[in-house]
Amino acid sequence: MGRKPPISNRVRELREQHGSMTQAQLGEAIGVTRQTVIAIEQNRYSPSLESAFRIARLFGVGLEDVFSWDD
Amino acid sequence: MPFREKSAWIMSFALLVGGVFYFLPVVSGWSGAGQLISPLMPHLLAYTVCLVVIAIVGHIVIAALAPKDADAPVDEREKLIFDRAGHYSSYVLGVGALLSLGLYLLSGNGDLLFYAVFASLIASQLAEYLLQIAFYRTSI
Repeated sequence: MGRKPPISNRVRELREQHGSMTQAQLGEAIGVTRQTVIAIEQNRYSPSLESAFRIARLFGVGLEDVFSWDD
Repeated sequence: MPFREKSAWIMSFALLVGGVFYFLPVVSGWSGAGQLISPLMPHLLAYTVCLVVIAIVGHIVIAALAPKDADAPVDEREKLIFDRAGHYSSYVLGVGALLSLGLYLLSGNGDLLFYAVFASLIASQLAEYLLQIAFYRTSI
């Protein structure tokens, strides 16, 4: 139906590096559902700028360390 | 499966079951005797009760199975899903209303107009829930 967003991310990798944080824990920390975290990790949804910053800040990295534009 | 996707499945089922029960006697009467039965209030009430009962019972069950999910507020992706589904389903209602008006202009039958508009309303609601399910499962 919808095309894949042209943005890839390292959310899953960073989540696993952070003490194997679960998708539900990440969702709770940034204010989205576990299903939305799954959609972000599978590149089916590009989060809002606010959520993107929340994710980056949670992992203590910059925005571009988490998200990158696919040319 | 997200709570609200389950909710969309329940509402789709309720609309389909209610719609079939409501329109079955109308269609069978039309095809049998060739006469369109006039819309009756008891039929409409039965349809509404059927819809409400399925919706309430279904939601109680899914909320009991996942109370935390049921209490969670709608998040940004879900808002987008609902907005988009609502946007596209409004076209279904619009086209249905236009076709109903055209049908009335051609037939001059007020009962047929009622059924056509009512069917458009059900179809647009059904489209909205089915689109929500589709958007939950694809990229948005």
